[in-house]
Amino acid sequence: MRKDGRPFRRILIANRGEIALRLIRACREMGIESVAVFSDVDAGMRHVRAADQAVRIGPAPAAESYLVVERIVEAALSTGAEAIHPGYGFLSERPALAEACVAAGIVFIGPEPATLHGLGDKLNARRAASAVGVPVVPGTLEPAPVDRPDAAASIVAEAERIGFPVLVKAAAGGGGRGMRLVERAADLPAALVAASHEAEAAFGDGSVYLERRIDRARHVEVQLLGDAHGAVVALGERDCSVQRRHQKLVEEAPAPGFDEARRRELHALGVSVARAVGLRNAATAEFLVAPDGAAWFLEVNARLQVEHGVTELVSGLDLVHEQLRIAAGEPLRDRVLAAAEAAATPDRHAIEVRLSAEDPARGFAPVPGTVGRWRPPGGPGVRMDDWIEDGTRVGGDYDPLLAKLLVVAEDRDMALARLARALDELVVTGIQTTVPFDRWLVDEPHFRAGDLSTDFVPDHWDPAPVRTEAAHRAARLAAEAWAAGLAAPSRPTLAGTSPAVGVPADDADGRSGWLASGRREVVDRWPR
Amino acid sequence: MAALSANGTGRPAGPARVVVDGPEPLVLDVTPGEGLPAGATVIRLPERHGSPGPARFEVVVDGWRFEATVESAARAELRERAARLGGSRMAAARQVIRAQIPGRVVTVAIAVGEAVQAGQRLLSIEAMKMENAVLAPRAGTIERVGVLAGQTIELGDELVVIA
Repeated sequence: MRKDGRPFRRILIANRGEIALRLIRACREMGIESVAVFSDVDAGMRHVRAADQAVRIGPAPAAESYLVVERIVEAALSTGAEAIHPGYGFLSERPALAEACVAAGIVFIGPEPATLHGLGDKLNARRAASAVGVPVVPGTLEPAPVDRPDAAASIVAEAERIGFPVLVKAAAGGGGRGMRLVERAADLPAALVAASHEAEAAFGDGSVYLERRIDRARHVEVQLLGDAHGAVVALGERDCSVQRRHQKLVEEAPAPGFDEARRRELHALGVSVARAVGLRNAATAEFLVAPDGAAWFLEVNARLQVEHGVTELVSGLDLVHEQLRIAAGEPLRDRVLAAAEAAATPDRHAIEVRLSAEDPARGFAPVPGTVGRWRPPGGPGVRMDDWIEDGTRVGGDYDPLLAKLLVVAEDRDMALARLARALDELVVTGIQTTVPFDRWLVDEPHFRAGDLSTDFVPDHWDPAPVRTEAAHRAARLAAEAWAAGLAAPSRPTLAGTSPAVGVPADDADGRSGWLASGRREVVDRWPR
Repeated sequence: MAALSANGTGRPAGPARVVVDGPEPLVLDVTPGEGLPAGATVIRLPERHGSPGPARFEVVVDGWRFEATVESAARAELRERAARLGGSRMAAARQVIRAQIPGRVVTVAIAVGEAVQAGQRLLSIEAMKMENAVLAPRAGTIERVGVLAGQTIELGDELVVIA
């Protein structure tokens, strides 16, 4: 810690999108200068404009920009940054960045490289948790020999022992990448290869392993913070059961239906895992909670999670502020310890929905495109962590997350009401998003009742009737707009110019709710 | 919200033919004049190539995004009749499969001349860090394969033609 009370003078943010903006905001609040990095397609994006300085680190593909350790470290050295915050994804859990920081005399805001080795490799984490008596989801503890066709029979035998259906998971994985659910032995070899390819592309490590699929389980995770002096605390749990493709869509804190004893038990398991691997800084221990209440350890994500905000809203802490203090060597503050004490008896409820450029009618397939109009909601208890704006091009180079809408209220019912209200206020045009799913979800009886499992989406989400009903209303709206003579823009927009694209003005006749817009030919329409 | 009438807009009275895009496009005749449902966004899109065809709208309802074209139903019927008389024939025998997302072709699982079943995996595309399988929409014979493994593709690129 510096004499002036700031943990650092200048920090480099090795990320993009909403998380880069969120980290830069924390820096500004703490009087710390921020340095953004950007690829060519991200030049001029909000995180670049919000930072005090910005450094170009390469072309659009992440493998040539955000994933290049040397470029990131070089950018930090050339700008005099004392520390690097990796955000989530990209290099956040790669020991290579943490090691390069140590070598360059830069502080890595996260665990020690050795801890990243231990936790980032899910297989190591499984062995470590198992060793301290934390129940681990049954499966393999060594990587599957994907590259050896002669070993196929032994992998299938192993899977039979674990019991189908099995999950193929990436040892270096996170966010569901490199993961496949396999129902039958015949499908296993192909799934191993596909998962390994995906893992190789996403993480640069194609190691995969097998894990039993626990039926009708909930995904519940524990937020952890540890300081450099060995103190580790749990700051509450989050239920992240509502997922598609093993990626989270909705997260909430606390987990619905848990009592205080169950919370304490789960938090203690998380702390045990963290202690076993010598955690420092922020991490999350993920568990599957079976219908009988048994909690099985899945993995630890040794970084800030996408959904950290719900814990912030319930605990009142700013986890990024705490990360920066911890990285500067400060012990956990009294305020953090008090929040940990209260974590099993929360007095608020927070919910986050991830708004992504995906089509909920087509299996949440990613749909790149250009945002037309973006009007996020506001008002009491609403937090928006976003990065898009009118005219933002959302390409295929990075993940499709556009924004996180978070709400907090005194209890879950009011949080749901607030979420519904916020979704009503939100306007996004030009690009299909996951909003229709969220609007459906807030009224869905099973979700409202807290009847959750990781099968929630396949069990309950049937987009066809919802979308068809909306299509009929859309037809009526289009006919009314046509009859009313809703005008096309008087000034044509030239292709390739961006300022006027997707920036519709409210109709001059004062017909509120109507938008007349000039925009480039849409590229994300249904292919003919 | 106040009802908007067609009076004074220069539009013909009578029903409108609306086509809403989607995997199965919705075609409806709607008689305007009932006013506007709340909670939705409508944006007029520029005409294609400046041609005086049907009016185009982007409509967002409950977060669902649609593109719709609108013209008078009478005019739509005239155009359809003209098209029929013109003898335009639908080339229904061939199906062109186009890229639904931009990305990179990871594997090509089929070759020209191969018979495929409906639902069979044709190729896989990596986009937004995920591998997405492209499946055969129907049974048939592969007439053409337009891409190679490793190739970068754009939205709408021709991938495979099934005859």
